[in-house]
Amino acid sequence: MKAKKRVVTYGKAAPPSRGAAGGPVPNTRRTPTVRTIRSAIVEPRPASAQRPPSPATTPPVAGRARSAVDLSVDLGRGLVLRNPVLVASGTFGYGVEYADVVDVERLGAICCKGTTLRPRQGNRPPRVTETPAGMLNSIGLQNPGVDAVLERYAQQWAGWQVPVIVNVAGESIEDYVEVVRKLDLVPGIAGVELNISCPNVGKGGLQFAIDQEAAAAVTRAVRRATELPLIVKLSPNVADIRPIAAAIAGAGADALSAINTLSGMALRADRTGPFLGNTYGGLSGPAIKPVALRIVYEVAQVVGIPVIAIGGVTGLDDVLDYLAAGAVAVQVGTAIFADPTLPVRLVDQLGEECGRRGLASYRPLIGTALPNRPNAASAKGVEYRP
Amino acid sequence: MQLVDAELQESRQVLPGQWLQQYHAPALAVSARAGQFVHVRTGDWSGLVLRRPFTINTADPATGSISLHFREVGRGTAWLTHLRPGDQIDMLGPLGQGFAVDPRNRHLLLVAGGLGIADLRMLVDEALRDGRQVVLLYGCRDASEVYPSSLLPDEVEYVVATDDGSVGHHGFVTDLVLDYEAWADQAFACGPLPMLRTLAGLVAGRKGRLGVATLGRKRGGGRPVPLGSPAARKKAFLQVAMEQNMGCAVGACLGCVIWGVNGPQRVCREGPVFAFDEIDWEATAGVGTHTR
Repeated sequence: MKAKKRVVTYGKAAPPSRGAAGGPVPNTRRTPTVRTIRSAIVEPRPASAQRPPSPATTPPVAGRARSAVDLSVDLGRGLVLRNPVLVASGTFGYGVEYADVVDVERLGAICCKGTTLRPRQGNRPPRVTETPAGMLNSIGLQNPGVDAVLERYAQQWAGWQVPVIVNVAGESIEDYVEVVRKLDLVPGIAGVELNISCPNVGKGGLQFAIDQEAAAAVTRAVRRATELPLIVKLSPNVADIRPIAAAIAGAGADALSAINTLSGMALRADRTGPFLGNTYGGLSGPAIKPVALRIVYEVAQVVGIPVIAIGGVTGLDDVLDYLAAGAVAVQVGTAIFADPTLPVRLVDQLGEECGRRGLASYRPLIGTALPNRPNAASAKGVEYRP
Repeated sequence: MQLVDAELQESRQVLPGQWLQQYHAPALAVSARAGQFVHVRTGDWSGLVLRRPFTINTADPATGSISLHFREVGRGTAWLTHLRPGDQIDMLGPLGQGFAVDPRNRHLLLVAGGLGIADLRMLVDEALRDGRQVVLLYGCRDASEVYPSSLLPDEVEYVVATDDGSVGHHGFVTDLVLDYEAWADQAFACGPLPMLRTLAGLVAGRKGRLGVATLGRKRGGGRPVPLGSPAARKKAFLQVAMEQNMGCAVGACLGCVIWGVNGPQRVCREGPVFAFDEIDWEATAGVGTHTR
């Protein structure tokens, strides 16, 4: 274990930037700083000590005392979220699109749209269609490239309390590494989610997710390139997820998120061919929840790092299901399209549910459905793995 | 953009399978512009996970009501037709860029194909309010689908074309455009993709054909404006309202793109109204089709 760990600070005044002597100091509110780590385990504290006392940096919502329950979650390497409800990559843009109708600061974290090294135009339209209790999408990783993303949004993100996790996609290990290098040490980037499982791009991406060696290799390469908290997003389009998840965890990922979309397709109304411009699309929504639940259940039993569940979360019951299956946090995706305020409401509802059950923390809800075993699923940071 | 609860006031079938519904939504009625749309959430019981985008057909700030005109094509729209007056539904809006009328223009030519009239209906109201003259060309399959003139203001010159000739001109509505294009200062269209593509072709050759378009202008036509900018939109002779299957409708999911000359364009954010020269008409196959 290294002597020093870098910790991303939220909601606390950052110390003056030591590296940039004399130079203009950028927005330092969430500049990653280096310091000796005390304990990344977030101990349940009395309600009075819930938040740092500094009034200048306390978010405005704190005054209303929404819940006395400790919802914070540590995803490893100092990435501590205030609550376990995230928004999934691709459904929330870059966090600014829904700002008119959603209080983004109340989310646990935002996973931004998949970002690649170079700009991508994405797939031919049409790209989305509704299916029974779900939807198919084949966006094809349309994005302006990592440089443009940082230029347009990083400064804004740095001013937010909510951590922004950049979803990174690529066609080769070198692509991933280069994107992550560009993200490293940028204020406003709280972590990286590796998208090794996008089903909608012709080459690259998916091949990393279906092969445990390749998955481990890309994880290891990215791990070497950055000290940012690293989440790897798993694909359900594999026969057995467990060896892949274990390999990724062993290669140094701080957390796993599961699952990406399931590969699927739809036909035109006249049945003359595939409907989507890309022929195949990724299925998401409530339709895939049983699949995601199975994968979370399996993965949580073979890895010691936190698992973030994704797939068809539309209400508190889904959140509780995923927690019981061993996830420490959930991402809300497709449901945002119908109900943009759902993630924020889920935060409130989870707090109320814990209060109703007399819990000081939501952590006792985690893993209750898992078979008993000595090495239980962890809600703690990676460095505290037994 | 805001989330509002809209209360259904009136719902009726104006044409076979086509419904006109009036909702009480003051926040939308005062802020909506012609060509903008709302994203409507359907009932949870139906297992539908996406909202439905509908152009705002009319908006009356005085009474705080808006109306939607849609065709019953699937389970989402069927659910809407079963609503009763007093029911509340969840709307996100107003969204998108509306029609941009150059303030100097007096003569507006509106071309609607079938349900495309829903996109142009509010522009009729806005243009008449601003003292412009409006010609509405309307094309549909046969007499049973002709948009009732009782739903239009009296000041509009309303010309109908039907595919089978049962009412009005026998043929496509685009055949009528040539009679009016010299009169028109600006044109606005919404309808099936082939219709829009034909119109774009007609308009592309317009300057040369009429030979008067640059009269009174400085050589070079003034400062060039970048394609897709608000200024270019306003100057464009033809603006078209496009449709595409939509996910989020706020520009986050990139699901509703169509292919433009400058790459993919989000119908929900850059559109739904585009200048005709922004669209890559060859590559835009498949727009406006539905799986069911």
